[in-house]
Amino acid sequence: MKRIAAAALAVAVALGLPLVLDDSALAVYVLLGLAAIVTVGVSLLMGFAGQVSLGQGAFYGVGAYTAALLALNGFPPLLGLVAAPLMAAVFAVLIGMPLLRLRGHHLAFATLAVQLILLSLAGQLEFTGGDIGLQGIPQFGIGSWEMDSAAAYAWLTWAALGLVMLVTHHVIASRPGRALRALATSETAAASSGIPVGRYKLVVFALSAAFAGLAGGIYCFYTGYVAPGSFPVLISIQYIVMAVVGGLGTVWGALAGASAITLLVQGLDRLAALPGMPTYAPSVLSYAVYALVLIGVVLFLPQGLVPALTRRDRPGRRGRAS
Amino acid sequence: MLAVTGVSRSFGGVYAVRDVSLAVAEGELCAIIGPNGAGKSTLFNLVTGHLAADHGEIAFLGHRVDRLAPHRRARLGMSIVFQGARVFRAMTVRENVMVGMHGRTRSGFVSAALRLPRHRRDEREIGREADAALARVGLAEWAGRPADRLPIGQQRALQLARALCARPRLLLLDEPASGLRGHERERLAALVEELRADGLTILLIEHDVGFVTRLADRVVVLDLGRVIADGPPAEIREDPLVLAAYLGQAS
Repeated sequence: MKRIAAAALAVAVALGLPLVLDDSALAVYVLLGLAAIVTVGVSLLMGFAGQVSLGQGAFYGVGAYTAALLALNGFPPLLGLVAAPLMAAVFAVLIGMPLLRLRGHHLAFATLAVQLILLSLAGQLEFTGGDIGLQGIPQFGIGSWEMDSAAAYAWLTWAALGLVMLVTHHVIASRPGRALRALATSETAAASSGIPVGRYKLVVFALSAAFAGLAGGIYCFYTGYVAPGSFPVLISIQYIVMAVVGGLGTVWGALAGASAITLLVQGLDRLAALPGMPTYAPSVLSYAVYALVLIGVVLFLPQGLVPALTRRDRPGRRGRAS
Repeated sequence: MLAVTGVSRSFGGVYAVRDVSLAVAEGELCAIIGPNGAGKSTLFNLVTGHLAADHGEIAFLGHRVDRLAPHRRARLGMSIVFQGARVFRAMTVRENVMVGMHGRTRSGFVSAALRLPRHRRDEREIGREADAALARVGLAEWAGRPADRLPIGQQRALQLARALCARPRLLLLDEPASGLRGHERERLAALVEELRADGLTILLIEHDVGFVTRLADRVVVLDLGRVIADGPPAEIREDPLVLAAYLGQAS
C-alpha cells in the first residue's frame, strides 16, 4: 500500500509541475523526462540483462529522424510518434544480430561505433538534411488538434515516461524478466534452463532502443528540428551515467539518476555561461562532471542513489513484489 | 535414453575426447569418472550442447541432438547442475528456481508488459512448482533470500531445485560434491539417492570415487579422452586398467 501511495504521489507531482513551472524550467522538465525515458531502457539493458550499450543516443536519433521525416512528408504526427520506437527497435534488431555476439566493453565500443557511423551518415545524406538537419517539423497533434504549449509536451513526455516505467516494472517481475536477469549472470546456465539467450538479448536490446526511439520522436516535435549535433556521443555517455548514478537494476533509479544529472548539468551550464568563461567551458565542464560523478558514485554508492536511499535489499524486495 | 556414439572433440590438434561411446538407460544412475584432464568436462559440455563435437552422434530420447543449441536440449528434458556457483545474482532463491520453469511455460514480453491472463496463469503455476522444488531440496525457508549469499552447499541444492523445476527426463550433475563439506556431501548424496529411487535418470560426473561407487549403478571411466572401462562399480574397482590410470595416479 505504501508503494502504491508513493507512486500515486509521484504521478500527481509529475503531472502538476507543468502548471507551476516557468518556460525555461519547463524546457528542462521536458528534457529531463525524455532523458529518463532513455535511461529506463539503459537500466533495463545494463542493470537487468547485463548488456552495455554506448550507442543509446543512436536509437534516440533514429526515433527523432523517423518521426521528423514522416511529419515533414505529410504523414500525421501520431503516425510519426508510433513509428519512432518501432523503427528504433527494428534498427536495434538489425545491428543487434551481429553485435550482441560481443560482450562487455567489446559490445560497448561496437555500439559506440554504430552511433558514430549513423552521425556521419546523417551529416552526409541529402534526405536527412546533412549537417543542417531537418527543420520546420510541424507540431505534434491528433486530427485537427495541435499541441502548441510547452506544458502539453511536458504531459506527453511524462505520460510516456510513466508508460515506459510501468512496462519495465511489469517485465522484470515476470517470466521473461527473470530470464533476462538470469542470463546477465550466466548465459550458460540460462541456456541450460531452456532460455533462448540470443533471442532474449535481441528483444531486450530492441525494447531499450524502442524506449530511446519514443523519446526521440517526442523530442523532434518538441524542438521542431533535428540535426546530427542533437545526438552527440556525449548524450549516450550521459544516459549511462544517469543509470549508474540512479542505481542500475531499479526502475526508479533511472528517474532519480536522470533528475540528478539533468539538474547538475543545468547548474553547470549557468556557471559556464558566466562572463569571462571560455567558449569551451560547457563541454569541458560536463565531461569532467560526468567522469567525477561516475567515479564518486562507483566509489561511495556502488549500487546507486535509489538503493542507497531506500536501504532495502534489492533481490529481497523484488522477491516480495513478484 | 542417452546415446553417445563415437564422439570426438579436439582443441588445437589435441584430443580432449576421442571416439567416446556410452549409453545411459532409463532410470539408471550412470557416473563418469576419471583423473584430472581425462575429458570429463569436455564430454559433459558436448552432451549439454555448450561445446560442439567434431565427430560422432549424440541422441537423446531418440532425437539427434548434437546440432541443437543448449536451450533446445534443455527443453527436450536435460537439466544441469553445474560445478561452479551458477546461481543467478541479484535474484532471490525462489526467483532462481522459477527460472527452471522457463521451458515449460510460454508467456512472453507482451503478455508480461500488459499483465494478460496468460501471464497471471503462468506466474501462478511457476510459483507453485518453484515452491514444491524448494521444499524438496529443503530450501523452503530460504526462499526470499538473495541467492548469491547462500553457502556453497545450499547453492548446489538451489541449482538442483532449479533443475528439478524443469521436470527433467535426464539430470546431469557436474562434480556436485566438489567444494562441499562432509555433512553437506552426505545430504546431497541422500537427495540424489532419493531422486534415483523416484525413477529419475541421472548422469553424474565426478572426481570423488567414493561418492560415485556408493551411488552409481554403472561407472564409465575416462582417461586421456578415451573410455577405458564401463561397468558396475564393483567391477570397476578391480579393473587393472582403471587402477593403473586412475587410482594408481592418486597414490
